[in-house]
Amino acid sequence: MSTKIDERRPEAAPRRAGVGTVVRKVFGADWSSAAIALVGLIVVVGLLRPEFLSFTQLSNVAQQSVYVALMASGLAFLITQGEVDLSVGGTYVLSAVATAILIQNGLDPWLAAICGLLLAVAVGALNSVVVLGIRINSLIATLAMGWVLRGLSAAISGGRQIIGMPIDHPFFTILGGGEILNVAVSVWILVLVVAVLTVVLRATPFGFRVREIGSNEDAAQFAGIPVRRTKATAFLMSGFIAGIAGLLGLAFFTSGDPTSGNGFELFAVAGAVIGGNPLTGGRATVFGAAIGAVLLNAVSIALVYFNIPAVWSQFATGLIIISAVSVDGIRRHRRSPQDA
Amino acid sequence: MYTLEAQDISKSYGGVRALDRAAIAVRPGSVHALLGENGAGKSTLVKIMTGAIRPDSGVLRLDGADVRFASTADAFRQGVGVVSQELSLFPHLSVLANMFPMREPRRGPFVDRREMLRLAVPILDELGLEVDPMVPVSRLPLAERQLVEIGKALVTKPRVLLLDEPTSALESGATDRLLHILRVLRSQDVAVVFVSHILEEVMSVCDEITVLRDGVVVTAGEDVGAHTVESVVSAMIGDRPRVVVRPSGRALAEQAVATTTSGLRVDGVTLHRTVQDVSFAVEPGEIVGLAGLAGSGPAELLRALAGIESPVRGTISLPGGIKAPHGQRAHIAAGVAYVSGDRRRLGLMLDKPVWENVVQVRTMAMGKDGAFLRVPGLVTRAGEHMSRLNIRASSPEATAGSLSGGNQQKVVLAKWLDNTPSTIVLDDPTRGVDIGAKAEIHGLLGDLAAAGAVVVLRSTDLEELVAVCERVIVLYRGRICAELRGDGLSTSALLQLMNTGELAPEGSQAPAS
Ligand SMILES: Nc1ncnc2c1ncn2[C@@H]1O[C@H](COP(=O)(O)OP(=O)(O)OP(=O)(O)O)[C@@H](O)[C@H]1O
Ligand SMILES: [Mg+2]
Repeated sequence: MSTKIDERRPEAAPRRAGVGTVVRKVFGADWSSAAIALVGLIVVVGLLRPEFLSFTQLSNVAQQSVYVALMASGLAFLITQGEVDLSVGGTYVLSAVATAILIQNGLDPWLAAICGLLLAVAVGALNSVVVLGIRINSLIATLAMGWVLRGLSAAISGGRQIIGMPIDHPFFTILGGGEILNVAVSVWILVLVVAVLTVVLRATPFGFRVREIGSNEDAAQFAGIPVRRTKATAFLMSGFIAGIAGLLGLAFFTSGDPTSGNGFELFAVAGAVIGGNPLTGGRATVFGAAIGAVLLNAVSIALVYFNIPAVWSQFATGLIIISAVSVDGIRRHRRSPQDA
Repeated sequence: MYTLEAQDISKSYGGVRALDRAAIAVRPGSVHALLGENGAGKSTLVKIMTGAIRPDSGVLRLDGADVRFASTADAFRQGVGVVSQELSLFPHLSVLANMFPMREPRRGPFVDRREMLRLAVPILDELGLEVDPMVPVSRLPLAERQLVEIGKALVTKPRVLLLDEPTSALESGATDRLLHILRVLRSQDVAVVFVSHILEEVMSVCDEITVLRDGVVVTAGEDVGAHTVESVVSAMIGDRPRVVVRPSGRALAEQAVATTTSGLRVDGVTLHRTVQDVSFAVEPGEIVGLAGLAGSGPAELLRALAGIESPVRGTISLPGGIKAPHGQRAHIAAGVAYVSGDRRRLGLMLDKPVWENVVQVRTMAMGKDGAFLRVPGLVTRAGEHMSRLNIRASSPEATAGSLSGGNQQKVVLAKWLDNTPSTIVLDDPTRGVDIGAKAEIHGLLGDLAAAGAVVVLRSTDLEELVAVCERVIVLYRGRICAELRGDGLSTSALLQLMNTGELAPEGSQAPAS
C-alpha cells in the first residue's frame, strides 16, 4: 500500500535547485509583493528623478524607516496570532522621553537606556495582563494603552522637548551618528534584529507555536501549546523592540520629543500586513514586515520628491496601503485551492 | 429518467488525479450509495455535483438538461441539497440561523423568526436534536453540529440530497433516525446520494451502489441486491491483498508508547453536572471502552482524563502512580494523548503541511527536540509516520486540508503517537476512516496496548467498541451502570444499557465495582 503514496506524488515534486525554482521560491514567498513593490518604486522614482538613486538618498530612506520597520518586525509575531499591538508608537515615545529625562538628570546614557528598555518591556507586560488576563480585545486595549503612554510622556516632560543631551557621549555618537561601511548603525541594528527574529520565527518551537496558534488556536491548545504564555511573550517582545526604536530615535534626534512618532503604529501594522503577515493569521515573515514598513516610508519620501503637498501625501499613502493589500489578497486567492 | 447525473467528470489537484472520468446517475425515489476507500474521490465528486468546486471536464445534468451550478447556494436553489463531510456551520450563530444561511424567510425587510421556527422545529425534532434553537452552534458537540448540518439541508426540501458521511459522528439512535428519514424521502421521490464507510448501514438503506477506486468508477450504479459487504469491499480495494500485513506493527508500537508499571486509576470522580462518583482502573496493556448516550458522561470523562476538565470531587492518577497534574498541557507532558474525532476544530491545522501537524505535539508544544529545529529532520520523521499509518498524501509537504477526510483523521493519530504517550485516550478516533484503515487502526491500538499503553476508547460506533475493547464501562445518567466483558459484550447489550441503565434478565451482567 505504501506504493500508493508514490503513485500519487505530483510530478512537480522533485526538488531541482535550478534558476526556475529559485525564481518561483522568491515570487511565491509571503514577502515578495512588498519587496517587488519596493524595488519597483525605487526604479520608477529613480527614472524620473535620478538624484533619488544616490547612495546618500537611499540610505536616508533606510535610516528614516528604521523605527517603523523595527516595530513592524515585532508586530509580525502578534499579528500572526490574531493579536495586535497599537501601543508601539506610544512605547516608542515614552521610552525616548523617559530615557531623555534620566539623562538630563545626570544618569549615564547607557544606564538610562537600559531603564528605558525595561520600561518598554513593562508596557508589554501590562499589555499582556490586560489582553490575556482581563481578556480585553487587543485592538482596543493597546489602542487605549497607546494614548495612555503618549499622555504619560507629555505629562512627565511637561509637554516640551527634553533637550540638553550630552551629544558627545558614545550613546549619541554611535547609535545616532555612527556609520559602519557608510551605513548608519541604526540600519545595522535593524538588520540584526530582523535576522535574529527570522531565526526565532523559522527555527525555534516558539516561532512555530506563534504560527500554529494563528492557524487553529483550539487545536494548538489541544496539542499542549501554552497559548497564553506564547502570546504574552510576543507582547513583551513587541514592547522591547518598540523600546529599541525609541532609543534609536532619541540617539538620532538628540532630544526626547513627546509629540514625535505620530502614526507610527499604523505604519507598522500596515507595513507588517502588506509585507506578508495577513490579519487572518497563521503565517508570518519578519523580513516582509520590515520591507513593508520601509516601502510605506519610501512612498512618503518619494512623494516629497515630486513636490506633492503634505495634505495629498497622506491621501496617497492611504491609497497605496489599500492597493498593496488588495494585490496581496488577490494573489493569495488565486494561489489557494478552491475549497480549502 | 435520472434526476441528477454526472458524466465524464475529471478533476486533478496539482499532480493528484482525484477523479478520472467518473460518473454517477441518481434516480428519483432511490438511495444511491457512493462508496470507496479514503481518498477515492467521493467527496470530490459530491462537491462537484453540488457546485462547491468545478470539474476540469465533464457535464452535470439536472432532469436531463445540462446545468452548471455557480455555488452550493445556487445548487440549493435548484433543488440540490448537500450535507458535506466537513461541516460548514457558522460557529457563532444560533442553530436556527445556521439552518437558513443567507436565505432566511423574511417579512418585509426583517427576518421572520416565527416562520423560521415553524419550518425548523419539526425537522430538528425528527432528527432528535433536543437543543434550544437559539444556542450558538459553537457550544454543541460534534454529533449535534452534524445534525444541524443535516437539518439545514432538509429544511430546503431538496429534490436531490447528497450526504457525505453524515453518520460518522452520530450515535446509533441518531443514525437510525436519519436512515428512517432517508426512507421517507425515498417514498417522496427524492433522489438521495449517500456516502458512508459503515457498509452494513449502507446496505440496509440503499437501492443502488456506485464504487470509486482511485478516482475511477469500478461499480457503476448496480443494484444493491447483486452485492454483499464482501463484494463491495473487493470492488473498493481491487486486487490488493485483503489483509494488511504490518510486519513493523509491534516494533512501531513499542517505539510509540512509553511503558509504565501501574495503570490509570479513577477514584470517586464527580464532574460538574455530568459524571457522578465514578471509579474504575485501566491497567497497562488493556483497552477499555466507555459507552453511554450523549449527556450521560463518557465524553466528559474522557475530557477529565485528558486534563481539560478537573474533577469537582475524586482523584485521577496516571500510570506510574502519578497524581494527575493540573491542566491539559501538564497531562500531555505526563504522557497522556487525547485523540479527538473532531479533527477540523481540535485536531488539525488545515493550512499547514502534514509534517508540521504530525510533529506539533512533541516538537512544538512539548519542545522535546530542543530550542533549535532542523526542518528536514522533522519532515523525514513525519514521513515515516505517514508510511506506517498508510497516510495517503502527495508528500509530507501537502497541506493537511488537501487530504481526504479519513487521511486527515490518521494525521491526528500520528501526531499523538509521535509524542510516545503512555495513556491514550481516544474519542471516536476512526470517524470517517474506511474499513481497511479502520482495521489497521484497531490493530495498531491492540499493538499499542500490548506494548504497555493504557488505552481508553469512546466511540459512537458500538461495533468498534465490541471489536476493540476487552471490557466496556457503560455510563447511564452520569453513573457506571455496568461493565461488560467477554461474551457479555455485544452491541445489543450496550444499546440496552445505554438507553435504560439495566440489562434484561438473560444477559450476564457484571455490577459496577
Ligand atoms: N483541495 C485539495 N487539494 C489537493 N488535493 C486534494 C484536495 N481535495 C482533495 N484532494 C485529493 O483528492 C483525492 C480525493 O479526495 P476526496 O476527499 O474526494 O476523497 P474521499 O473519497 O472523500 O475520501 P474520505 O473517505 O477519506 O473522505 C485525495 O487524494 C485528496 O488528497
Ligand atoms: Mg470524503
